[in-house]
Amino acid sequence: MTDRLASKDAFDRFQRAAADRWQRMWDGDQLVVSVQVDSSSVAKGALRVLAACREATAGTNAIVREVSGNGAMWMEPAVEVKRPGEPPIVYGWIAAEDVPALLAGQLRDRAVGVRGTEAFAGIPPLHEHSFFKHQLRIVMEDFGVIEPGSIEDAIARGAYSSLAKVLFDMTPEEAIAEVTAANLRGRGGAGFPAGIKWESGRKARNQPKFVVVNSHEGEPNVYKDRRIHEGDPHKILEGMLISSVTCGAERAYNYIGGEYPLAIKRFRKAVADAERLGLIGENILGSGKSVEVRVRTGGGAYICGEGSALMYSVMGVRGQPRTKPPRSVEEGLWRRPTILNNTETLANVPAIINKGGEWFSQIGTSNSAGTKMMTVQGPLKRVGLVETRMGITMRTLIDEVWGGMRDGHVFKGVQTGGVSAGPITGGQLGYAVDFDSMTEIGGMLGSGGFVVFDQHVCPVDFARYLTAFNRVESCSKCVPCHRGNPALVEILDRIRLGGGAVEDLSLMERTSKHIIDLSLCGLGQVAPMPLLGMMKSYTQDFLDHIENHVCAAGSCPISATRVLAAAAD
Amino acid sequence: MEDTAPTIVGPLATNGPASPRDIPPDAIIDLDEVRRMLSHFHYRDFQEAQELILSALQEVNEHFGWVSLEAADVVAEHFGTTATRVYGLLTFYADFRTEPRGKHFMLLCHGMACYVMGSQRLVQNLEDVWGIADGGTTADGELTVQVVNGCLGVCDRAPICKLDADYFGDLTVESLNEAIRAAIAGSGSWRDAHHPVAAGSNHD
Repeated sequence: MTDRLASKDAFDRFQRAAADRWQRMWDGDQLVVSVQVDSSSVAKGALRVLAACREATAGTNAIVREVSGNGAMWMEPAVEVKRPGEPPIVYGWIAAEDVPALLAGQLRDRAVGVRGTEAFAGIPPLHEHSFFKHQLRIVMEDFGVIEPGSIEDAIARGAYSSLAKVLFDMTPEEAIAEVTAANLRGRGGAGFPAGIKWESGRKARNQPKFVVVNSHEGEPNVYKDRRIHEGDPHKILEGMLISSVTCGAERAYNYIGGEYPLAIKRFRKAVADAERLGLIGENILGSGKSVEVRVRTGGGAYICGEGSALMYSVMGVRGQPRTKPPRSVEEGLWRRPTILNNTETLANVPAIINKGGEWFSQIGTSNSAGTKMMTVQGPLKRVGLVETRMGITMRTLIDEVWGGMRDGHVFKGVQTGGVSAGPITGGQLGYAVDFDSMTEIGGMLGSGGFVVFDQHVCPVDFARYLTAFNRVESCSKCVPCHRGNPALVEILDRIRLGGGAVEDLSLMERTSKHIIDLSLCGLGQVAPMPLLGMMKSYTQDFLDHIENHVCAAGSCPISATRVLAAAAD
Repeated sequence: MEDTAPTIVGPLATNGPASPRDIPPDAIIDLDEVRRMLSHFHYRDFQEAQELILSALQEVNEHFGWVSLEAADVVAEHFGTTATRVYGLLTFYADFRTEPRGKHFMLLCHGMACYVMGSQRLVQNLEDVWGIADGGTTADGELTVQVVNGCLGVCDRAPICKLDADYFGDLTVESLNEAIRAAIAGSGSWRDAHHPVAAGSNHD
């Protein structure tokens, strides 16, 4: 076991040794097998594949590694095999039974691409695959490359060098200036500039201060933050440490949704390893700066993604939002100044410090700099997690990156912004995906989760599903949300059953306005947005239910009534 | 979620707390075991004690499948707080159960991916065929279902569920029922599920 690194020199030496070891592994004359294990591939048997690889190579000098998935969920479980003298090749759809053939080099037809710049033996580079070619990876750079459980891997790939830079070569003001110059906006949905937040955090006078990472991710349509924990936890940790050092906080929290055991496990391992090396704790790398890191887990309440509710949850009480001001940067956790950032936002910070804010601000669009991790769900050919430049169009994402609709499914719309915004329809796919473009048509980037739905989904029923989600997840603190959302569901149910009236549409609009205007927290204020969006984009479907008693998708109870009526005739 | 439930989150809202006579003997929580688990939760000050309550409850919940009133008492005692406070957490956060799990435990994903691929039918089927709503247990104590409002994150195989230790993807009503029947006929239980440390103290 390595001892604590007590100085920058010691860190540099450790980094050189790790980089050497990394290079030797790839240049060596042994087989390197990297099995992509994350929470989605585990469901498809990735752990059995890993065990099979270990068994098949036992007694040889082969190296079997447990890496994380690279976002391409459609080809899981995936395994990367590197033979001596060949580049690493990624294979998809590998079951445990396939492992002997795979290691014997017989499954060339399942090779998806070469991880490298040049084709090999007719297999093209991975980045030319249409799933990968539109991507630009900053946060996901090392997904599937490093072992998330190995801090040596991460350091060999440059982890913590930005932290060392902030500790020894920059003043906190200079570091914050880079983040401000980068125009890094919050990736959790609100899009608030991180630089401004950090500046107010640094200026806050009260001590102690805290940094809190929001990794709760309770929306029903996003899985990006847990994947960062699973794929490259050190990026988050380094971002936390840089934020703490520059803002003057001596304690940093990461609040992770309790439903994501693998994310929690890998992040805890990262914390333990970093503590062992002296990258966390008292007197980091001999710089005189100290940061304690604590991991706290949620309990499956969507509301805890809201800033103040999250802090209450960290403090061990019910997560219910409070009125603002004071803002959390003045009075947050334990009534101390608290700098709250989304996981993905912080995971971008090491690259910004390393390459400069100017570099980052050139990526993406003028108002939305950088890249965004995006997830998709629905009947598409290549469902997965991607990271692209801001400003890519929805059409490119759906048709090229995610491969278009599966056979037999006709595109109907994309729900954006989780349960906080409306859908966009076929005619609106040319809109750019960034913080601001989609808001004019009622869509929203949110945390980057998009749900594509087809002709089998009824907009009325979907609106009910989204509103019912908000109803169940309402923290019940304030009346407009607590009573308003059930009222909306009740009206929607009336329409679904065939008892709706045209006036119900305006009644829902009025009720929605009350919820939007009078709710206390951000989540309540946007709860009716999906319903309003659905009503706007699919007015005819609502009218068909009300006036003609027809549910085109056949999913509302109204259809059953018609079938029964027809049978009776 | 096919909600017949009022807006309060959590199984209590639909089922009410189990009375002691309903609890099968093998589901009774060994309080000494709880104390042993809690002994890993060290705290140095008031703040840390408060912060660790949720984590401790999660460990108890994962280990025993639920948290009884008695166990909540022990947790409260360990952290120097009241049982009411601890029970308040159990009923607020959806992951906690205040009554035992059946022999088999299913997490049925009802996130948006699963919804657009038809999970509403599966939720309805559970009620129609097995007579259980979210958080409920079948009368014979074989199966408990928790409908997941968040997302299990295996969206390319939606709709999906996790039954004991196994995942089942691309579900239809038929394949879901078949999976349940196979689990009930088999020898496994929810205790086989792979639970890599869900929570825990930083300082153990």
